[in-house]
Amino acid sequence: MRGPQDLGGLPAGPVDPVVHEHDPTHWEKRIDAMMMLLFDPKRRLARVDESRRMQEALGEDYHKYPYYERWLQAISWLMLEKGVFSQEELDEKQREVRARLEAERSGT
Amino acid sequence: MERKFEPGDAVRVLERNQPGHVRTPLYVRGKVGVIERVVGSFPNPETLAYGQSGLPYKMLYRVNFAQQTLWSDYDGRPEDTLEIEIYEHWLEPA
Amino acid sequence: MSDHHHDLVHATHTHDGKPIQNDDRPPIEAETLETAVRELLMEKGVISADEVRQAIEMMDSRGTDLGAKIVARAWVDDDFKQRLLSEGDAAVREFGVDMRPTELCVVENTAEVHNMVVCTLCSCYPRAILGIPPAWYKRRDYRARAVREPRSILAEFGTAIPEQKQVRVHDSNADLRYLVLPQRPAGTDDWSEEQLAALVSRDSMIGVADIRSPGE
Repeated sequence: MRGPQDLGGLPAGPVDPVVHEHDPTHWEKRIDAMMMLLFDPKRRLARVDESRRMQEALGEDYHKYPYYERWLQAISWLMLEKGVFSQEELDEKQREVRARLEAERSGT
Repeated sequence: MERKFEPGDAVRVLERNQPGHVRTPLYVRGKVGVIERVVGSFPNPETLAYGQSGLPYKMLYRVNFAQQTLWSDYDGRPEDTLEIEIYEHWLEPA
Repeated sequence: MSDHHHDLVHATHTHDGKPIQNDDRPPIEAETLETAVRELLMEKGVISADEVRQAIEMMDSRGTDLGAKIVARAWVDDDFKQRLLSEGDAAVREFGVDMRPTELCVVENTAEVHNMVVCTLCSCYPRAILGIPPAWYKRRDYRARAVREPRSILAEFGTAIPEQKQVRVHDSNADLRYLVLPQRPAGTDDWSEEQLAALVSRDSMIGVADIRSPGE
């Protein structure tokens, strides 16, 4: 019964310390910042162990998601689980944001 | 907080399946190592992961394994070690 | 979109003119979810744009310098080094570092022992001291292999470990965070603490590299 996060000892490729290095992008930092804020003593809205549980819940998709997309998924599921916002609110907000980003990206 | 083990004690990590979030990786389950140090008592991550309090606290130890006991094909030195933190409820005397 | 408060974190420059958006944007699905979650959290009053900005500034200010200073202090001050090794949390508090809710475990490289750190289950890292972990530290390749073939990993980093040296791998899987105290390189006896700190690399504090002697 191996969870997708439990990687110790599994076959894997070489580590390239030059190619496998990049400074976090601003988008990644925003996710990192959100997580840290949700964990902080002021909010305590989530614990690191809860975030890990949600990432593990990705199952096989765990390996498809880049690191910070796993964090993002965990934040989103945790906020839904805790009732901070509803699935309907999230869906509606995503539609609105998507339209805005598409317009922005196409330069209109 | 009372504890079952002291540095130098031989311990075996329980070989058990458990659903949910656990911090004991498969590669040490069923393996025998030695208590390297007592880290202290910490909230239980297995219940923290579900938004609970983590109480009662669990005693946490650092356990030292000879690499050769973990991997039959280990190709480094016999003295090479792997050290990892294990909560008391995952350990039994060996 | 000037009527949206997320402008603050989408801006390309901070008030002092430094660029803050440093890379390509993610796939639109990912950016959509991130923006939606962040805006909902702001609308619900859970977080504010200013708090996000401050958290990013804090992240940017926390690199590996602090770790390097701690290592250099340990090299020049044996009392500090003993405190660092026996009670890491208390020792780094002298540098204003608060490790809570985790604890710091410092492991010392010597002529006989090489230490190396990995987190196989996620990517636990002493962020309070070293900032955000490197990308390779979070990848499957490193997490899977570091515990089983540390010497091959070290070779991939170009780090030569004499065959008779013991290699200790620390899987950072629970409540401790690990800092490797690298060996002080030869030829630095008369160096100042500041000069020494400038020699200390991030990778040497994770234990995938040694520190070369100056001029080597």
